[in-house]
Amino acid sequence: MRPDDERYFARIEERLDEAWDVAETAKEQGRDPEPKIEIPVARDMADRVENILGIDGVAERVRDLEGEMSREEAALELVTDFVDGNVGDYDSREGKIEGAVRTAVALLTEGVVAAPIEGIDRVELLENDDGTEFVNVYYAGPIRSAGGTAQALSVLVADYARSLLDVDEYKPRDVEVERYAEEIALYDKETGLQYTPKDKESKFIAKHIPVMLDGEATSDEEVSGFRDLERVDTNSARGGMCLVAAEGIALKAPKIQRYTRDLEEVDWPWLQDLIDGTIGKDGAGDGDAAGDGSDSEADDEGSDDAESDAEANEAAGDGSTEDEAAGPLRADSSQKFLRDLIAGRPVFTHPSEAGGFRLRYGRARNHGFATGGVHPATMHIVDDFLAAGTQIKTERPGKAHGVVPVDSIEGPTVRLANGEVRRIDDPEEAKEIRNGIEKVLDLGEYLVNYGEFVENNHPLAPASYAPEWWVQEFEAAGADVRALRDDPHVDLEHPAVDEALAWAREYDCPLHPEYTYLWHDISVDAFEALADAVAAGDVVEGVLAVERTEPVRDALESLLIEHAATPDALRIPTWRPLARSLGIDDGLRKGWHADDLSAAARGYADGENAVRAVNEVAPFEVRERAPTRIGNRMGRPEKSESRDLSPAVHTLFPINEAGGPQRDVAEAANVMDDTGHRGRHELQVSDRVCPDCGEHTYAALCPDCETHTEPHYECNDCGTVCEPDEAGRVECPNCEWEVTAASYQEVDVNDAYRSALETVGERESAFEILKGVQGLTSRNKTPEPIEKGVLRAKNGVTSFKDGTVRYDMTDLPVTAVRPEELDVTADHFRELGYETDIDDEPLRHDDQVVELRVQDIVLSDGAAEHMLKTADFVDDLLEQFYGLDRFYEVNERDDLVGELVFGMAPHTSAATVGRVIGFTSAAVGYAHPYFHAAKRRNCDGDEDCVMLLMDGLLNFSKEFLPDQRGGRMDAPLVMSSRIDPSEIDDEAHNVDIVREYPLELYEASRELADPEEVEELIQIGEDTLGTDDEYHGFDHTHDTTDIAMGPDLSAYKTLGDMMEKMDAQLELARKLRAVDETDVAERVIEYHFLPDIIGNLRAFSRQETRCLDCGEKYRRMPLTGECRECGGRVNLTVHEGSVSKYVDTAIEVAERFDCRPYTKQRLKVLDQSLESIFEDDTNKQSGIADFM
Amino acid sequence: MPLESNARIAKALAERGYNAEREAITLLAGAADPAAAVAAAVDHAPDEALRITADHVREATVDTERSAASPAETGQSPVETKGSTDHGVGGTETASAAATADGETAAAAESPDSTAPDASATADPETTDSLAANPERSRDSEPPRNPDLRDLEVGNDMTGHSTGTGEYSDFVTTFRDRYERLSKILRGRVNHRPAEAIANMPGGSDAAMIGLVNDVRSTKSGHWLVELEDTTGTFPALVMKDKGLADVVDEILLDECLAVEGTLADDAGILFADSLHFPDVPRTHRPGGADRHVQAALISDVHVGSDEFMADAWHSFTDWLHTSEANPVEYLLLAGDMVEGVGVYPDQDEELEIVDIYEQYEAFAELLKEVPADTEIVMIPGNHDAVRLAEPQPGFNDEIRSIMDVHDAQIVSNPATVSVEGVEVLMYHGVSLDEVIAELPEEKASYDEPHKAMYQLLKKRHVAPQFGGHTRVAPEERDYLVMEDVPDVFHTGHVHKLGWGKYHNVLAVNSGCWQAQTDFQKSVNIDPDAGYAPILDLDTLDMTVRKFS
Repeated sequence: MRPDDERYFARIEERLDEAWDVAETAKEQGRDPEPKIEIPVARDMADRVENILGIDGVAERVRDLEGEMSREEAALELVTDFVDGNVGDYDSREGKIEGAVRTAVALLTEGVVAAPIEGIDRVELLENDDGTEFVNVYYAGPIRSAGGTAQALSVLVADYARSLLDVDEYKPRDVEVERYAEEIALYDKETGLQYTPKDKESKFIAKHIPVMLDGEATSDEEVSGFRDLERVDTNSARGGMCLVAAEGIALKAPKIQRYTRDLEEVDWPWLQDLIDGTIGKDGAGDGDAAGDGSDSEADDEGSDDAESDAEANEAAGDGSTEDEAAGPLRADSSQKFLRDLIAGRPVFTHPSEAGGFRLRYGRARNHGFATGGVHPATMHIVDDFLAAGTQIKTERPGKAHGVVPVDSIEGPTVRLANGEVRRIDDPEEAKEIRNGIEKVLDLGEYLVNYGEFVENNHPLAPASYAPEWWVQEFEAAGADVRALRDDPHVDLEHPAVDEALAWAREYDCPLHPEYTYLWHDISVDAFEALADAVAAGDVVEGVLAVERTEPVRDALESLLIEHAATPDALRIPTWRPLARSLGIDDGLRKGWHADDLSAAARGYADGENAVRAVNEVAPFEVRERAPTRIGNRMGRPEKSESRDLSPAVHTLFPINEAGGPQRDVAEAANVMDDTGHRGRHELQVSDRVCPDCGEHTYAALCPDCETHTEPHYECNDCGTVCEPDEAGRVECPNCEWEVTAASYQEVDVNDAYRSALETVGERESAFEILKGVQGLTSRNKTPEPIEKGVLRAKNGVTSFKDGTVRYDMTDLPVTAVRPEELDVTADHFRELGYETDIDDEPLRHDDQVVELRVQDIVLSDGAAEHMLKTADFVDDLLEQFYGLDRFYEVNERDDLVGELVFGMAPHTSAATVGRVIGFTSAAVGYAHPYFHAAKRRNCDGDEDCVMLLMDGLLNFSKEFLPDQRGGRMDAPLVMSSRIDPSEIDDEAHNVDIVREYPLELYEASRELADPEEVEELIQIGEDTLGTDDEYHGFDHTHDTTDIAMGPDLSAYKTLGDMMEKMDAQLELARKLRAVDETDVAERVIEYHFLPDIIGNLRAFSRQETRCLDCGEKYRRMPLTGECRECGGRVNLTVHEGSVSKYVDTAIEVAERFDCRPYTKQRLKVLDQSLESIFEDDTNKQSGIADFM
Repeated sequence: MPLESNARIAKALAERGYNAEREAITLLAGAADPAAAVAAAVDHAPDEALRITADHVREATVDTERSAASPAETGQSPVETKGSTDHGVGGTETASAAATADGETAAAAESPDSTAPDASATADPETTDSLAANPERSRDSEPPRNPDLRDLEVGNDMTGHSTGTGEYSDFVTTFRDRYERLSKILRGRVNHRPAEAIANMPGGSDAAMIGLVNDVRSTKSGHWLVELEDTTGTFPALVMKDKGLADVVDEILLDECLAVEGTLADDAGILFADSLHFPDVPRTHRPGGADRHVQAALISDVHVGSDEFMADAWHSFTDWLHTSEANPVEYLLLAGDMVEGVGVYPDQDEELEIVDIYEQYEAFAELLKEVPADTEIVMIPGNHDAVRLAEPQPGFNDEIRSIMDVHDAQIVSNPATVSVEGVEVLMYHGVSLDEVIAELPEEKASYDEPHKAMYQLLKKRHVAPQFGGHTRVAPEERDYLVMEDVPDVFHTGHVHKLGWGKYHNVLAVNSGCWQAQTDFQKSVNIDPDAGYAPILDLDTLDMTVRKFS
């Protein structure tokens, strides 16, 4: 680590210590459930693992092992420690296995996610049919967050522990094997799996796996075949088990095999069959498939990556050996991303469709880590559906991207209503003209960084011809690029026509991309026609006018050549590069005849690609301009909003139903009971006892002597007072069940409310409403002091289930920033310790580009405002409740710069400390990719939250967490104060950090090579791990003017109801050349309207009813007709309106967009069903025949 | 077009707009060149004829043979005819479930045996040969099919009378009608007191109540709480675990009609049940019967349009219908799922041979033409058909009816009762069977023995009692799903499994299907019984199952 980095972390930790001291003083007063701060600081991963698991001694052992071996190996090594009893305090064999399994999962997830505590319920020993024992691991849904590798390894660890403890293997019964297959298929259908094993594979795994995988039922859908099995206690799908079997064992077989090989005790020879992919392939009955054909077949049916990989290689082989006339190499198109299209979220590019996003390689400074760069003009052109942070589902290289604005790439090309074709590189221009756009001919470039291909192990796709590629070829051709760069009259990126033509001629270098048109998108015939048209044209005042005919116009539009249109002519201002490419000189003399084109050029890609023809007639080499189009559609919209429970909560204090639907504490305090007392309610709250005076209370502070109280555990049945054991569990020694401190007590809410107001010196008029909760969900039902709620209400913030105030934002990466764009100054930055810009120039101006430090984050405007309110709340709390000094003292948002926050992602249990350095108008949270990775997020549309540091320290308590599966997820059980790049999600290590990609990358992309082939030439994050450079040196290839360009919010969020969104979606589909609007309409009907209509129709005919007066629900309509409870009016819960609301629209859309008869017929059948149910046959209008 | 089978000849004639006598078809099939013979027969038929008779054929044949007699070809004709029998026609299925429910349904076990001798007769190649070679003899052996003797009436058909408009009150009306009609059956057995009245009775009194089951749950101590509802309110009954009623409680479905007799608790808050009564089929039920030897084929689930539709089995079946053995089969009852439908499940189009729903019905109509033209056909829709899924399902709309107008088939609602020459057949597609099988213990209802699930429905006198679960209900002015009158035969399909048996003298038949195992069925471990046709003797109510696949 460099001294500079040292200073950076010291600064952060200094501020953390400062806050810690204040919070500790406050907590020691005993006003909270625990008299200490409940978020321990973890120095490193080992600490986190120990803290999350709560098993002493793990951290030390992990640190011992870490230097010597990989994390996976350490997890296996720890098994021996657990078995021997060196680590953990377990007596039983199942306990030892459980400890080892949890630790393994915790280690592999860097101690961040909740999977080890929430995803593994228990381990038990059961009996085989032959009387031997076997191990059963009981998984729960949250194991999902562990990821496939950790899931698979947990099974291996269990097996290893099993063998060391001499427990036998699991011998499944045949029905159990069948059950696994059915259940996994069911789960896939209901919830979806990343990888769906074939039935044969599932059965194969079930048959061979040496420990039983079991788990909790996670859905209501039940299997229909293998039910009521003795050793499977549910008929529903067990989500955790399905995940481990499918995404763990089946998908990660190669990874597990690596470790089974090294272990003598465990032997999983059957993994080889899974890896070979032969399971479930040879079952179709054709025996010869196992022979020579098996390889290719396996690949075809395998995962997507494998598929395209194999075919790409195949294609590459063909190209080099046989005739090249077949056509250029292209990445295969894939429909997958279009699945589950949602109404109102438009498609931008159909798979690999011309006119769609063109793949350009590069990483902008706000880019990488599962994001895609889109020109801000494009964002406006697609009717504002794209904004920074909007998720899009992509065709390649990965499944999804977060969108980032990058204006150093090419913008869209459009045809205006007056026939003019224009490229738009300015977002302002895009906004001005967008109402006049008739057709979007091209969406512009789509920036993807090389690391994305590495991360997804996706073969490189042919690159767009771009200036950064050309310039390297230019240099290789002998040009003095350095001199040209220094020449103020030369713009290497956008050269003048004469220069570009001269360079191409003089240096024998391909034509500059600025004047390279998309010849691969037109046919050889169209090319010849265009050449004739141009040769027959006239040049008037430097503008070429050609006759306006449809084929010529189509050709120009496909080539993306800017031109204007008059009723009978197309006028092309920049025509010389076009003419030259067509083999026509400046005098419009065509220098070739139709016979001159070779057969190879004519037959290239079946005559659909004119690039060869161009190269035969043009005086210079012309490269393929945009060979790869990336299909994509909108996924989730971006997010930036405060996290409120529903209904919102100011204080975690229970008030039953007394607060009305608003959960108004004041209202509950006012309700009068039979005895004339106000605000007395029978509440389930914790029973606490004062250690000094023995007084029982629900409050954390004894009302009599102001001593901190302790929970009082009394067994409901036998009355024994119990003590918690080391793990915090409380069990009654007599009754052998879990005992909680919760009990029903009569609580004077009125008094509690009034005295709280008094304590903090506030009046009721300080806030509009103070909302409590109906009941507490935590184990001991410990309520929060109402005072905190009063101050939250006063400052306009609400509490999450754990007592913290949170704000959610979509994650986006950024590795370099300008103070200016963050609405702060260079001064601010210097105060934060930034001294130089990315070129090592001293930081003086607000617009210098500065490399971002790993724990520095940028808040969205909304987040900043929310944090200001939170800071006020925390200050009030310190001053008015704890009687301490104010800590933040913020007046304006600049005061937040330099303050610390927690970043915390769903499904995890560890918070990461971050520092605020600025603000953005984009509705996202920009931070270093390593910061996101430390929270185990990437940036493909994921979102997570920030909390103000002091708020977390003061108000978080484990006592508030719900006592149910997943209750400890999304809670800061531990915090990481500094990021160790080696201990984060390794996906972030695949972000490339160079300023320029080598020529070899572009060349390799044309061959669809594996990204590995150029790995040596491009530095990625992984390469600097463990070196002094691990915290800096994140260079980028593309700049962008401002990281908040484009619309602030996606149109999806600003448009009104679903119909409006869908209309906009279909309207856009019509406008985009790369989109097949019929297909969009089909999919909207298929995935949105039909499921809605079918679902509601089903719901209608089996619905519940509800009393309109008292709210009582009835499973079936009462025979009395009226409410049995109150005699009130009972009515349906699903009405005709909700069933038929979309039918007419769907039918109209199907007609308007000419959908398939199959779709239309489905709608018609449904429409008739509705009519049959909701219309009275005898009441229909009679036909004329009835009167004749 | 090769015209090697009777069914195809019938179809060829149907395409030309003619019905045909059975004998005429036999003669045509035996002709040297059936195609020419058909053409000739049609030529010879008088212009006003709608029906090709044996006489027409003979006249025509004489002409044809005069003009182009070829002894060699004539010799081959019996072989061709025999070819059609080689599909396995006449094989009698005895292996399938004929289990008896409670000992008194021995008739079910007898039925396969009783018809076994008939079956062997057709399998005999000699019979076939002589049949073709000697038309005179075959006519002698067959009693003529006389439409005048037939008697077919449909009841409970709600097609065109769906008056519900999906209002809350429609639902209430439906359930009230259910309660009223089913409770009537139970009134004779217990002395019903309304829930409201029971609530006011003193503790310890004896009481009985008839109601729809509102809730069934087991208590912590292992007893069961059954809440009944009548038009005045609800009242809970406690069924003690030691009363020997466990078996009965297992069979209870929500929303069926039930009577409970017992004693009120001391605080009068609950009724301790001594006995439970289902509306049930009386043991004294005496089924009707035809007064002549005539048969009905009971089939369902043809699934035309599916990749898995078994066309060959269907052709074998219709071929067989043209044999003399099938002469008594004058009725064909089809219990739903004529076609595979569209949009029944996601991505169904990938498994459809015919993607267009109308073309599916057209193809079905073509297949129906293969059935002898003078067969009386009754069809009800199923869950794959193009009608509403909610039950009762009305018969098809006019558009689809017009496609299926072959043979003047009667298309009625699901469920419907058909009275065939004195035999009351209740036809119901059978969607509720899934739920009965899921809810009840395996020994009472399973896919392998679908008729046992049907016994349960008979016992409850309702084809789909449970509301809110699997079965969908469309509210109407009456509950068409109630079995007010006891049927003689209960015919369902849907589960694609063959099973039959007698319950209190009512023959329950689930009729298998004509669709081979689908991928979905494979994945959930269902092995369908495909290509079977149960043939019911309407005079004796004995049944034979014939296999055509």
